[in-house]
Amino acid sequence: MYSLLFKSFFRTKIFLVSLVLLLSVGVISILIGKQFLVKQEKTIAAAQVFQEESVKKNIEYHSEDLGLLLYYLRFTLAKKLENISAISIGQSDVNPLLQAVTIRGLEGQKYDTDFENPSLLMSGNLDLGFVIIYLFPLVLIAMTFNLYSEEKELGTWRILVAQTSRKAGFLLKKMAVRILFVFAVLITLMFLASTILQISMNANFWAIFLQSILYLLFWSALCFWMVSLLKNSSFNALALISIWVVLTILVPALVNNYVINTYQVPEALDAMVEQRDGYHEKWDMEKDVTMNGFIGAYPQYINYEVPQDRFSWIWYYGMQHMGDLAAKETIEEMTKKIMQRNKVSEKVAFFIPTMHAQLSMNNLAGTDMISHLGFLNALTKFHESLRLGFYDKIFSEKSESSVDWTKHDLKFYQVDDNFSWLKLVLPTLLITLIIGLIGVFNLRKL
Amino acid sequence: MLARQLWQDAFRSKVMLIASTLMLFLLLFSAYSGWENYHDQNFTRDEIQEEVQESWENNPDKHPHRMSHYGSFALRLKHVLSVFDLGMENFVGNAVFLEAHKQNTVNFSEASMSTGLLRFGEVSLAMLLKVIVPLLIFYLGFATIAQERENGTLKLLIGQGITRKEIVFGKWLGLWSLSLIFLTSIFLVLLLFVLLESHDSMHTDSLLRYAVLLISYFLFFGILSAITILVSAFSATAKGALVKLLGIWLLFVIIVPKSLQAMGFYLYPTPSKIEMETAVEHDLIALGDSHNPDDPHFKALKDSVLLANKVTEVEDLPFNYGGFVMSKGEELSAEVYLEHQEELYEVYHKQNNLERYSAFINPYSAIKNLSMAFSGTDFQSFLHFKDEAETYRFKLAQDMNQLQMDFIPNKSKEGPNTISSDYWKEFPPFEYHFLSITEVFKNELTSLIALLLWSLLSVFGLLKLSTNLKAI
Repeated sequence: MYSLLFKSFFRTKIFLVSLVLLLSVGVISILIGKQFLVKQEKTIAAAQVFQEESVKKNIEYHSEDLGLLLYYLRFTLAKKLENISAISIGQSDVNPLLQAVTIRGLEGQKYDTDFENPSLLMSGNLDLGFVIIYLFPLVLIAMTFNLYSEEKELGTWRILVAQTSRKAGFLLKKMAVRILFVFAVLITLMFLASTILQISMNANFWAIFLQSILYLLFWSALCFWMVSLLKNSSFNALALISIWVVLTILVPALVNNYVINTYQVPEALDAMVEQRDGYHEKWDMEKDVTMNGFIGAYPQYINYEVPQDRFSWIWYYGMQHMGDLAAKETIEEMTKKIMQRNKVSEKVAFFIPTMHAQLSMNNLAGTDMISHLGFLNALTKFHESLRLGFYDKIFSEKSESSVDWTKHDLKFYQVDDNFSWLKLVLPTLLITLIIGLIGVFNLRKL
Repeated sequence: MLARQLWQDAFRSKVMLIASTLMLFLLLFSAYSGWENYHDQNFTRDEIQEEVQESWENNPDKHPHRMSHYGSFALRLKHVLSVFDLGMENFVGNAVFLEAHKQNTVNFSEASMSTGLLRFGEVSLAMLLKVIVPLLIFYLGFATIAQERENGTLKLLIGQGITRKEIVFGKWLGLWSLSLIFLTSIFLVLLLFVLLESHDSMHTDSLLRYAVLLISYFLFFGILSAITILVSAFSATAKGALVKLLGIWLLFVIIVPKSLQAMGFYLYPTPSKIEMETAVEHDLIALGDSHNPDDPHFKALKDSVLLANKVTEVEDLPFNYGGFVMSKGEELSAEVYLEHQEELYEVYHKQNNLERYSAFINPYSAIKNLSMAFSGTDFQSFLHFKDEAETYRFKLAQDMNQLQMDFIPNKSKEGPNTISSDYWKEFPPFEYHFLSITEVFKNELTSLIALLLWSLLSVFGLLKLSTNLKAI
């Protein structure tokens, strides 16, 4: 029975078109992922060179004054993204891969963006995740919308009814053949990606794999349910495409608009001004104002003397730090709101498999917003450890040679790749089961 | 008569009912969210821009170079038509810190504070017209001719003496006018916003932009209706027509634009920021290094200045020499930076052109680019903001350098090291002016020509169909 069904399926035009479309776009998306990884490597290599050379060059010019030298020197922290990020590039094109900061105020440097063509950002990356989330469902729709109606419209259904006792079983088998084909293509592409992109087969890879399979099962169930309503071909095509538009375009976009408007972040702009003013106004104030704040934050530097009548580095870096302190509360508020945006999006996504697939893939690939916030946190710690490492030497007017510069090469931040299997699997699985069961129930009337 | 019949059929069908309800909901939602976003964001940015100016002016007497490090901020204002088409609005930065010696990036784009959901797209009034209404036109029109032929009514019509031309154009006008319901309702809402928000100077400009948008979408729907009629006429069955039209929609609206953009990115790689900064620094050092006392460029500069003023020591110059060197340095670094930036944008243009020129085979690309540009939310509008901000930054730095040259005495000379705070108040605030409509026309010439060609092609196609429409 199955071999016959397969044979007749392989003879259809839609089989060939789907196979060619999915494989070619799939391979292109993998190559785009590859390019993304290459660009990352190049950026990091360039940053490493930049780091080394700028240390060397600045030492040459400013060796007499460590405070001045460190005014110029920049230290780089880069995200270490796993190769799996190439499958779901997510937000990692919007957010910078690395940040090179001086030990001056951090808030003025933390949010600097990298260069990226906004047209590309707007249209989004054509990564494998996109192919799975957008194109695979379309192919499923194209292959199944006339599963029953075609036979009915061509008149072959009556012959079939005469020959088989289990009509629903026949439709299910026909459906299964198509689903199996789609899965075969998916598995091929996934393994192709893992070889070309050299993705390690860790839990995150299998989780993305499982999520993709579940996501396609969801669409299969949806198509099956539509077939089970026994309507004509035009209705099915129209309805399924409309559902596709609603699930992949309208609902996520509506949720996004809602989230952006409800949790607006004017704090970002406020903090930017607060940081500058918090630092610059100190130039026109008594030195004690700065020093009280600075020593309040770091009492270990209380013994350094601050000359009242002239410039000193302890005062200068104190002022810089006061800028960061001035913006601190607003920044916390801003981070809270961004987290809120993420939380609401994730909650809604539990009910919408397309959104859930996108967000969880980004999460598994380490390219979501949370991992960028993690990076920003790490950057704050990195900046503080740099400052505390240098302060003593600057304040006691040590020379440049007291620093072991070889230790200050480019540093990496490891993106956290923990996730919960239950949260990943359950939402889509439940929705799929419910829709599938309704479909089977409908067919019992056949 | 045939056009009216199409209307009646449409209003009897369930599709139209569901579509209209959905559209009404989407229209209200996107009008509301677009307006709220525009209003709130501009309110915040206006407020901060004023605050920035106030704190600038409230600085006490000080050395002018302190002020050029104090710097200023430029905040990007949204055009009122961004309520209509969000375009790249949320993917470009909103604020930039302007200081001496350094071109900072424009930061805090909405995208940088968003979840991965942003990639599904955004709902705006223009998105409804560009993406959803075309699908509705296809839904409403796929059966027009194919169905009549299947039922045999097409033969009857022709038998009754109605010409083929009347049938084809009647159906076309019927479908087109049906689509104009959506166009009119959305543009009426938009007109309200434009009138509400336009300040005197912007008024005519906004209305002109509005008119161009209206005409463009009007033509776009005419083209889509023609495509629908043509596909329907050349398909054996209504089902076949529907499947073809859905394929066209997916290909032209979703798959082709995205693939071309990705291809552009693949063909023309861009450097990362750190690579460009390294290159800029490298070029600057090659030109002249102001930190190096033996640098030939700055040594020659010094000698020529001394010679021109007939003195032997910089201390004896009639102006502050430090200010002079900084102003030359600023000039040099700005020039080199802008050169590299120009190169980068050249690559961006190459990347984008692939999709831009596809307008000649894909009318959606034409309307997409036109719509963004005239709504003031395209890449050019953003670059215009960046240019204005950079011009302001450069002027700020150079004015402060000039003040230093004029009023701060040279080292080892007597005199005050600060100048009066009155000078800060004389420096004008940053004011952003939108791109002029003539510029927008220039930028979008390709898309305009493509749209007009498509309109001509549509009429031509329909005329051709009028002569050889098959009745059976």
